[in-house]
Amino acid sequence: MSTRGGGASSDDGILSRVSTSVSQSPIVYRGKKAAFDTAYVAKKLLKSTGKAAWIAGTTFLVLVVPLIIEMDREQQLNELELQQASLLGASK
Amino acid sequence: MATLVPPSPATAVTPPAAGSGAAAVEPQKADYLNLPCPIPYEEIHREALMSLKPEHFEGMRFDFTKGLNQKFSLSHSVMMGPTEIPSQSSETIKIPTAHYEFGANYIDPKLMLFGRVLTDGRVNARLKCDLTDNLTLKGNAQLTNEPHMSHGMFNFDYKGSDYRTQFQLGNGALFGASYIQSVTPNLSLGGEVFWAGQHRKSGIGYAARYNTDKMVATGQVASTGMVALSYVQKVSEKVSLASDFMYNYMSRDVTASFGYDYILRQCRLRGKIDSNGVVAALLEERFNMGLNFLLSAEIDHQKKDYKFGFGLTVGE
Repeated sequence: MSTRGGGASSDDGILSRVSTSVSQSPIVYRGKKAAFDTAYVAKKLLKSTGKAAWIAGTTFLVLVVPLIIEMDREQQLNELELQQASLLGASK
Repeated sequence: MATLVPPSPATAVTPPAAGSGAAAVEPQKADYLNLPCPIPYEEIHREALMSLKPEHFEGMRFDFTKGLNQKFSLSHSVMMGPTEIPSQSSETIKIPTAHYEFGANYIDPKLMLFGRVLTDGRVNARLKCDLTDNLTLKGNAQLTNEPHMSHGMFNFDYKGSDYRTQFQLGNGALFGASYIQSVTPNLSLGGEVFWAGQHRKSGIGYAARYNTDKMVATGQVASTGMVALSYVQKVSEKVSLASDFMYNYMSRDVTASFGYDYILRQCRLRGKIDSNGVVAALLEERFNMGLNFLLSAEIDHQKKDYKFGFGLTVGE
């Protein structure tokens, strides 16, 4: 530990004494720790959200997208048949 | 073993009175002398298996079936893709393989024969023969290049008016018997025993199946430690949903899965999601008369194993 660790020693200039007392005060220490914790939690949250989004996205792609496509085609086929039926029925 | 469903007051008639003509026209009165024949014991989970366990594959697949006759047909099949090798570590080892398979089928109302030859030296054969109206003989055999891996099995099935029994003989001194009985028009209960001489193991199991027009619920317990329950609900003509729960009380393995099965006019789409983190889907689309296109996908999120395949089936 340096001799300046605990606080300002008497043979420093005024500026260095003031800055040391600010940078080593408990408030600044608490603030730094809070910022570090927030960054840590935010990084974990981002990673887990990313993982969840990947899993949800690929699962949706495999399970739901073919279903939507096929149901759309079925609906188109139904409409075509309805149209044809009404056309044939009207022209009888 | 069997917990019989107590008959409701409307159907609590003694058998002679019930047999006097209460046919299945009135759905409320159960005619206990005219119960339908139950599903064979090994197909008790049939609806659930059809929806939840279709044949997923990896790689490319091409099948061509050509009928020479009304009863006889030949089939050619090419499959290329990675095959998994069981490994001790958690990593899956895949080796690319490719093979061609030639097959011949003979289908008659009383006799059915299937034979397949593969380029990696395996030969499969299946036989189904109706010896009399009620007695059926089924057999299947598989021969391989590797020693001690060939096996064959014969089944004798007897079908009664409301029960079925089956007796099985396999190589390696494998004996099995099963019996299933219709208890009410909707409920059937059955049991099976087997004895494997080679591994000195024997087992007994029970199964129950309850089905109505709209749903099928089955349960099966075996002394090998397996408990399997399944439920299939037919939501509409084209859609059915299935769920399945399997628990092994020896190895404490639990798996639950849930799937859907859409049978549309031009395609059939089956998808399922599992409690092991496996998501799988199989799409069979009909392009033209006799031309089917297959797409299969299986994503295992836990093991990070992805399998995709496509294929074409030509012929009936």
